[in-house]
Amino acid sequence: MTSNTMLMSTTAKLRGRRVQLVRQATATRSVRETLVSLAGLTGRPVLNPMGDEVGRVVDVVARLYGNDAYPPVTGLVVRVGRRRSFLAASAIGQIAGDRVRLSSARMDLSEFVRRPGEVLLGRDVLDHQLVDVDGVQVNRAADLYLAPVGGRVLLVGVDVSLPTLLRRLGPRRWQARATPERVVDWQTVAPFAENATDGPAEVRLRSSRGALHRLRPAELADLLEDLGRAERQQLLAMLDPGHAADALEEMEPAELENLLREAPPERAARLVEEMEPDEAVEALRDLHTDEREQLLTRIPDAEAAQLRGLLAYPEDTAGGSMTTRLVTAVRDQTVAELRAELATSAEHRTEIDAVALVSADGRLLADIPLFDLAVADDRTTLGELADWLAQFGGHDAVQAGARLGEVAEQLVAARASSLLVVDEQQRPLGRILADDVLDYLLPARGRLHFRRFLQ
Amino acid sequence: MSLDTDSTPDSTPDSAAQSARVGETTASGPAVASSGLTRGLARVPLLGRVTRWNRWARLAALAGVAGPGLVAANAGNDAAGIATYASAGSQYVYGTLFFMVLVTVALVLVQEMAVRLGAFTGKGLGALIREQFSLRATALALTCLLLANTGLVVSEFAGIGAAFELLGVPKWAIIPPAALLLWALVLFGSYRYAERIFLVMSLVFFAYPIAMILGHPNWGKVGHSLVVPHLQGDKGFILLAVALIGTTVSPYMQFYAAAGVVDRGTKVADYPLIRADAIIGAVFACGISLTIIIATATTIGGTGPLASAAQAAKALEPVAGQSAEVLFAVGLIGASALAGAVVPLSASYAIGEAAGVERSVSRRFRDAPFFLSLFTAQIALGAAVAMTPIDVIQLLIGTQVLQGLITPVVLVYLLILTNRRSVLGAAANGPRYRIAATVVVVGVAAMSTILLVQTVLSWFGLG
Repeated sequence: MTSNTMLMSTTAKLRGRRVQLVRQATATRSVRETLVSLAGLTGRPVLNPMGDEVGRVVDVVARLYGNDAYPPVTGLVVRVGRRRSFLAASAIGQIAGDRVRLSSARMDLSEFVRRPGEVLLGRDVLDHQLVDVDGVQVNRAADLYLAPVGGRVLLVGVDVSLPTLLRRLGPRRWQARATPERVVDWQTVAPFAENATDGPAEVRLRSSRGALHRLRPAELADLLEDLGRAERQQLLAMLDPGHAADALEEMEPAELENLLREAPPERAARLVEEMEPDEAVEALRDLHTDEREQLLTRIPDAEAAQLRGLLAYPEDTAGGSMTTRLVTAVRDQTVAELRAELATSAEHRTEIDAVALVSADGRLLADIPLFDLAVADDRTTLGELADWLAQFGGHDAVQAGARLGEVAEQLVAARASSLLVVDEQQRPLGRILADDVLDYLLPARGRLHFRRFLQ
Repeated sequence: MSLDTDSTPDSTPDSAAQSARVGETTASGPAVASSGLTRGLARVPLLGRVTRWNRWARLAALAGVAGPGLVAANAGNDAAGIATYASAGSQYVYGTLFFMVLVTVALVLVQEMAVRLGAFTGKGLGALIREQFSLRATALALTCLLLANTGLVVSEFAGIGAAFELLGVPKWAIIPPAALLLWALVLFGSYRYAERIFLVMSLVFFAYPIAMILGHPNWGKVGHSLVVPHLQGDKGFILLAVALIGTTVSPYMQFYAAAGVVDRGTKVADYPLIRADAIIGAVFACGISLTIIIATATTIGGTGPLASAAQAAKALEPVAGQSAEVLFAVGLIGASALAGAVVPLSASYAIGEAAGVERSVSRRFRDAPFFLSLFTAQIALGAAVAMTPIDVIQLLIGTQVLQGLITPVVLVYLLILTNRRSVLGAAANGPRYRIAATVVVVGVAAMSTILLVQTVLSWFGLG
């Protein structure tokens, strides 16, 4: 690109940016006037239609997980004299930044009783942790913004910006002014709050579920690690076990161990069940014997037996780190048949990178990499393929008792990405993947957090 | 190979050697340490089976990954701490010993509460204060922390300056490059190697217990002073007492200990271990402090307030003779550099956590501007103030007084949080513990108030 066109494109970009900024500022101004800051609203007067003060706002109650996209405000907790009472949303005429005006002179005040799914926004959500699914990070709610929409007041967004925190520290008259600088749409937020998780799960997951499920397992693992204990369990409860298990596999062992300990046993068992066997075993290994038993008894027998078998191998051997997820085939199967079989195991795609060819009595004949399967002709039988492959040298396999160091050397020698693990009779037991060996070889490099200063 | 022989990982000689090897790796790479500590401690019986050399390697590894409680408490024995303890010894001989015993009890209680909060909630102190109190209360606590910490950073750089002056290098020539180096080490990631060097250098202060014994203190008097309360009404004594609290129970330690527990991903089940670590750490740190007081009291006791770093070095003469000053300087540089990075970082971390912003030294400025600016500002300000021509020892003690005044604010939050069942559930303070902790907090607060009143009175010539 010549410097001239580069200059032109830069100018065009700058102009575009300026136009965008102006548009944004206009939008911000109009939005700012309609938004009501929750932090600013607390402590403000509640006026009757004549304009006389009848009480002060203590907190705002909203139904956090309903059928609505944005949680509607269901009422206010108002201090009247020395009593804290509940004022239903129907009695609210208008909510402005610095006052609430009632719609009728008659006020129906009752004692505040939390109904399922209702939260006190000020006490339970403001200043507490939440997951910003869009930015993929754990944040704290610096302010919550309410907006009157079609006769109702809705919770529309969360402010997570630093200037908003400073505004809240400033004088009283600053506080009612909304400062939407970094506002996260409520729909892309996973909030945690006391009592917010009451009610049927399907309903409460509606808004943030889709967004949460679009996260990659590693991102989700990072989020889980950043959350406090209680919040972490709430987030886990929002995810389906399969997705959660993928994330858990990415977590640091110590954090994972914690998480499984804290979770209700039923849920922990369900998560372990969903995890890939080698990762599950690694997690189980760190638990105390009785805790491990508690989980294993809640897992279906077949899978529990498999995990127990794996647990019997010492941690630093091939047997202790292998996955039992195996695809085996016999000589007269055709490549097409095998490919069809593989197609049904798509969910285990990270665990399978070769197919074990076994004899009728289960002994290993060859280990056929997926590449060779991919390029082979449909009608070829696996026996033929294996014979053809034999010219490149024999297959490699390791004994279950082999140390991971030896496995690493053998992996390098074989230039393979995984090795079959076999018993003394050469029957395949499982497969050890290069990444498991890597985990062992690399010092566990945690993210360079505060932690390294504590070590 | 049959499965049975392999089913107990620790039973074969091979796996014992393997564990020892893991221990050695821990000593050279900090990474494995986070789980290494708890696992290492949990499997200590293994120590008996490995060879002697391996055992030392393992012990070194364990020391290298000493728990947050231990690290936090011992961080109190930095430049400012040494100055305060040495001053206590030189000015009041053994008079402050009983007070230090009380301070030890206070430190144990306070550190235990901090790690308990961290372990049971999985959140740092900054975050808990924000969730449980108003935003303004949080701002107050964190401003206090920032203020006290910046004071500490000043004293760390003053310590580096003083140490180099002992070696004949003027402080204006050493503080700016030292500050820049430390800042760069932390930001550009090679700090963890430097940290080890600093740690080893600061181990020089372990010469104090030896110096104490070689100095032949009057053991009878020492024992008497340790047990029998001794309180003096004069302002100097109270000032020093507050300074002793300030340097031993400094606010950043609680934030640091709680954050450390959270950051290691420690589990509730390990809480007894964490508590033990916090208690041992506190007692150990105070033990070292006591030996510093006794050693200085024996060598230069009764000569009045400490005038220079050279005087504090004198107490090491029984160990090092002529080279006492060099030895002291090495220790001081190590301790100051270590704390010079950790202290501002822990404040930035606590504030970043409470504000809910991105916080990590591995991020670039653009990604974590607030966190890194806070850190940078503290280092810059600390180094700048340390450059001014001020009396270093007085400055060091002054910082501790400031800390002593701020500590009650943090302790009150800590006490309220650990009392709350809504925060800690069954782990909240029991009735007896509540009384003990309240007494400690009130005691510390009372000391601070007395000092404040004295200071204000003295402005009007009444003190």
